[in-house]
This record gives sequence, C-alpha cells and structure tokens, in this order.
Amino acid sequence: MLQHGNEAGHPAPSPAGTSRRRFLTAMAGTGAAVAAPALLTGCGTARAKGGNLQFWNFYGPQRSPDPAINAQSKWFTDMVGKWNATHKQQIDLVYLPQPTYLNGFKLPSAFATGEGPDIFMLSPGDFLRYYNGGVLEDLTPHMEKAAVEDFGSALDSRKVDGKVYALPMEVEPLAMFYSQGLWEKAGLSEADIPTTWDQMLDIGDKLGSRTTAGLVFETNPGYYQNFTWYPWMWQGGGDVLDERGGVAFDSKGTRQALTLWQDAVRHGIAPRTVPAAGDVIGGFKGGNVGMWQQGIWNVASFKAFAPDYPYGVFKLPTPPGGDYVTALGGWSFCANAQGRNPEVAAEFCVWALGSMKDDSIDRMVDWCVRAKTDVAPRASALERGAAKGGYDAEVMRRFKDEIFPGGRAEPRYPPVVYKAISDAIQGTMLAGRGVESEIERATRSIDAYTKSYKGASLI
Amino acid sequence: MSSVAAKERRAAAAPAQAPASTRGPGLSRRHREWLAAALFLAPDVLGLLVFVAVPMVLSVALSFFQVSGFGSYEWIGLGNYERMMNDPLFWDSMKITGLYVVILVPVLFCVSLGLGLLVKQKLPGMGVYRTALFLPYVISLVVVGVLWKFLLDEQTGAVNRAMRAAGLDGESWLGSPSLALGCVIAVMVWVMMGYYMIIFLSGLQEIPQEYYEAAKLDGAGPWRQFRSITWPLLRPTSFFVLMMSTVAAITGGLDLIFVLTNGGPANGTSLAIFYIYQQAFGFGEYGYASAMGSFLVLIMVAVSAVIFKFTRGGRFDDGQ
Repeated sequence: MLQHGNEAGHPAPSPAGTSRRRFLTAMAGTGAAVAAPALLTGCGTARAKGGNLQFWNFYGPQRSPDPAINAQSKWFTDMVGKWNATHKQQIDLVYLPQPTYLNGFKLPSAFATGEGPDIFMLSPGDFLRYYNGGVLEDLTPHMEKAAVEDFGSALDSRKVDGKVYALPMEVEPLAMFYSQGLWEKAGLSEADIPTTWDQMLDIGDKLGSRTTAGLVFETNPGYYQNFTWYPWMWQGGGDVLDERGGVAFDSKGTRQALTLWQDAVRHGIAPRTVPAAGDVIGGFKGGNVGMWQQGIWNVASFKAFAPDYPYGVFKLPTPPGGDYVTALGGWSFCANAQGRNPEVAAEFCVWALGSMKDDSIDRMVDWCVRAKTDVAPRASALERGAAKGGYDAEVMRRFKDEIFPGGRAEPRYPPVVYKAISDAIQGTMLAGRGVESEIERATRSIDAYTKSYKGASLI
Repeated sequence: MSSVAAKERRAAAAPAQAPASTRGPGLSRRHREWLAAALFLAPDVLGLLVFVAVPMVLSVALSFFQVSGFGSYEWIGLGNYERMMNDPLFWDSMKITGLYVVILVPVLFCVSLGLGLLVKQKLPGMGVYRTALFLPYVISLVVVGVLWKFLLDEQTGAVNRAMRAAGLDGESWLGSPSLALGCVIAVMVWVMMGYYMIIFLSGLQEIPQEYYEAAKLDGAGPWRQFRSITWPLLRPTSFFVLMMSTVAAITGGLDLIFVLTNGGPANGTSLAIFYIYQQAFGFGEYGYASAMGSFLVLIMVAVSAVIFKFTRGGRFDDGQ
C-alpha cells in the first residue's frame, strides 16, 4: 500500500531535473497554445475557397408588406443582377435581418473565423474596428480622382492616410420631426418652431401629456443613442477628441448637452423610454409623440405607412451662443481584404457607387430619392436627384437645403470610447447622476484608452 | 461424498459460467456488453464532447489571447483576467447578476411551487389552466421581450393604463434604474414559472395519497399537511428546481435583456452574461469575453457546490 508522500509510484526525475509528467504537460500546453488559434479560427479563410462572392446586407433579397422595403430590396437585387450579367465573377446577395446584422453574432463571428463576407455594409461607428482588423480593402486604386472629389467630405470618416476604404451609399441627417396635428391642438403655428434649446423644452412641455411625449430623445443605450446625442454636444463647441486626437470631452459643450437631456427627462418633458417601443410612425399616428429627434430615413416610412399623416421637420435648435450642427449617418459598401477576391470586391463597390459613369451616379440617385429617402453623398448625385424632383417635397427640400448643410459626419470612435460616452449619457439622463462626475469618469476612461491605442487616427 | 458434491456443484455451475468465458469467433460476452454500452453512450458522449467539452476548453484557451476579432491572436497569458479584475463595469454587472439571482430564484421557486400545488387540484378544466400557465415557456424570449415592451410602455402600455384607470400615476417601468431590473425579474418569472410548475407537479404527484388521508384522520389541516408531508417529500424536486433555476438565472436571460432594455437604463440591467456578449460580439473582444465567461462558470460551479453541500445533493434523508 502506498503511503502518503511515498514516491514509489512516481517516475524518477529526468537527469535535467524535469519529470516526464512535467515535460508532457509543457508539451501539451505548448501544443494547445500553438493549435488554439488554428482551431479557433476554423483553420481556413474564405480566400482559399473561390466561388461566387458574397454580399451581406440587411436590405435584400426579401419580401415585405412594406412597399418601401420591397423597393430597397429590389434596388439591391437589380444592382447585383446587372453586375452578374456583365462580369465573370458572380456575386450572391445574402440578406440578414437588420437586428441580426447590427447586434447579432453572425457578422462578427464570420470575420473572427476568417469567413467574413466579401462585400458588406459598414456604419461609421464600426469603421475603425474593421480597418484596424485589416479586413478593409483599399478602394482608391479603382476610383477616379474626380469621383473622390465628387464625394467630398462624405468620405472623411472612411479614409485613412488619404486612401478610401468605404463608399457611402447615403447621407442620413438628423432633424426634429413634429406632429402638425398636436402642434395646432396646442395653439402653436409654424412661427413657433423652436430655434433655441429653451424654446424646444417649452414647446415640448406644452405638447406633452400623460399619454403624449412632448419631446423624444433616444433612450436605449447603444451606438445610435450616441449618434443622436453628438450634435447637441457639437453645437456648444464640445467634442470628444480634439484635432490632434487628445481628449476634449471635459468641456462646456459636453456639460450643457448632458444637462439638456437630463433636464428634459427630469422635468418630464422627455420620456425615459421611447414611445410605442420605438415605432416612430406608430408613435406619431397614435398621438403619443409631439416632437421626436429622428433621421431622414423616416420620410420613406411615413410615405409607406402614413402617407396622409400631417408632420413636419425642422433643424435641431441651438444653445445660446452655439452654432447649428447635426449628425450625418449613413452606411457604406466595403470590400473584404481577406475575402475570396478582394480586387473584384473592391471593383464592385466602386462600380456600384463610386464610378464617374452615369450608371453609377444614377444608381445612387435612384437609391436616395426613389427606393429610400436620403441625401446623396455625391455632389453629382445630389444635383441629379434634385433635377429629377427627388427633393421637391417640402420635407425633403428642408432636409437638403436647411438640415444637411450644417451636418457633420458620424464619428468613428472605437468601442471603448463609445461605451464611455454612452455611460455618461445614460448615467446623467436616466440615473440622474451628476454631470461633472460622469464627464470626469468618461474622460478618465477615454484618456486611458487613447494613450494605449494603436491604429488609424480616431478622428 | 464431499468430492461428489463438489463435482455436482461444478456441473451445476458450469452451464451458467460457460457463456461468460466462452470465446467464440469474435468478442467475449463481457466485451460485447461493454461494446453495446459504449455504442449506446456514444451519441451522447460525442454530442457533449463536440458541443460542450471542446468549446469549453477552447473558450478557456481563448481567454489567454488578445483577439482582434479578425483572426489575429496574441498570447497575453493572464492579461485578460487582470483586465477583468480592474474593470468596474464587469464588477457592476456581477453585482447586478448577484441581485438578480438572489431575487429571481426564491421568487420563481415560491411561485412555481404555489402554482404546482394549485394545479394539482382535481377541478374541471385543470388541463386548460396548466397549459395556459405553461404557455409562456414555449414562447421565444425575443417575442416575450417585445410583448412586455409594449405592455410596460410609458405612455400607452396596458400596465400604466390600468394604473391610471385606478387613479394612480403611471411609471417608467423600463426607463427607471430602480424599476427596470425588477421588471426583468417579473417577466422572467412569468416565462419560467410554467416549466418549474410542471416539475413541482410531477414531484407532488409522486407523494402517496395515503399519507394525506392518514394525516386528515389525525386532524392535520392543510398547512400542517404541507409542512409535514409535502415539503419533506418534495425536497429532491425542490433541490432540482433550485439548482436548475440558479444555473438558468446566472447564464440565461440574454435574449430578454437584449430586447427589453439593451442593458439599460444606465447599465441597470446589464447582467454579466449581457456584458460578456456585448464585449464579444459588439466590441470584438473575444479573448476578454472568454476570460469573463470562464470566471462566470467558476462562480456557477461554486454556487452549485454550495447548494449541493447545504442540501446534501438532494439526498436529504441519507444517514438519518
């Protein structure tokens, strides 16, 4: 019987002082460390596979009861159909429902395992993560200089070192949508459209009731809430990072923007959750919303689901001494540098949206004024869209002539920066925490991150 | 005499032993039994190995890497664990998870047990009630989230309408940090109670009716019957429910949080599992998420061990 501590059953140590068990453990550990990345990445990449290129998107092909969505889906299928009819390398459209595309695990998992789509859609908020991950193909070699100039500042947040890595298909400015019915019911007229924050809060107060939210700001934490909050900060001269990339979050502009949203909620002018579970058209039609900060894409939704509903839009009011700014969102086409055929994928992106050929410009016009309601990111497309009457309707005219010109592209802050800002907004707006302490905490977090950050410029 | 008897015993024993020791053209009977057992077990073992064990091992391996989310892996040893120790948001999410588990599990237990006792009654139409109570469990959590989002809506939700009709002020159920977690727990209880009700019901039906009849003859009232018969004999079932609901509370609820609150307001419903998901699939921090996931599994094992210890693994009456 072996006694405790008896070494009889153990192998003798090797001459070098390492037991066989220790040696085997070390070998197994080394083997696991070497093998793990290969196992975890699925041992392969899309590049090796060949076949048709895949274009992952959240528009089509799909069938929907919403005619606007069907038109958008058709735009995608027509575009890919035309490419496939004229090019040897074929492309397949792969549709992912929008929530899955935005917040699901399919797209990130695909990239993590080297199986990312060859062509995909990207928002500014995700640009840096994908660029730093080395999966964005340079589109510049496929573009004419005139085309780059045609896009102008719309490419700013999609460029690194002067090279273009994503082509925007649309520009989506934020504005204030309001219910004309409730407006009149409250004894207000067009002359009462607020131009200052104080006026906006007063009118929100007048429009509000137990079942109607007078003024709605986004309340769900996420990239979208940050996107809708940035213009309020920018209007007072605030910013997250300065021109040299230093942290500039602790500023008067930030303070007053956080206070604005906090006061609106504290005084019951803005609700703590968005009405109608976020259904904009349903909220307005149900008489539950007076004013709602929203994007141009809702014009198409109104046209589809409430064509007779009387609503208006106006540009975001400004603080005392502030300048008008709105945030410009919008999605881009990107080519996967690690995909099956990055060259052709990049060529497709440029062919679809970034060529100087009429076909390419008209395609963008068609997207921005027919299939969807957006401002075109190219000067030539905007001009053609206007000539075609795409911006003749009062709401679209306002977006083009009044709201869009004061716009600034959505920033491309990476997740840590986004999260710090998001926590500050949520903490002050919904938990009633002190503005100063939240700014201090966020500044500390962003500062720590930017000091260790390695990658393309954050601004 | 004795040798004759011994021969007879051997002769009698020989036919019985023969098949076990006979070596035919293939395997012995014992080996064939082992093979049959292995074949029967193989599908489950393979399934567990491929879908549970290997991913778990890979997840732990991943926690030692800095992962870019685009196929680049850099060995950083315990770096992710160090980051976790210094991440206040992670510890906040652990505190919220702790609170969530401490409230959800006992409430779910009591409600399910209560419903189990109610639906055990032999009344007309009881099958319909049982089905109705079980129904929420078979609905997708995403659908449940959307449904309750509308019901709890600040302006138009049915809950606030009912409150206003009763002369009360409505509340921002999902927009107030002090209420949102409670709402998530309430919805989770609504979803899960039917499942555990069925478990309790099966446990209750195992208790012989004679015990209750004898107790009634002795003058025991309903409460006395519950304390002296139902509760002790239901302990193995209770242990199962406690274990399962604790594990489900620590690791589940992601879909519901995602739809109902997205972790808000002000991270008020950001459970650890939600924070881990956000880090992995929202921010591409797979290595860090794996480290937190591994830690959460450890916590779960520790909690399970404590429950096992205090309840003696459900074998309550052993040695008594």
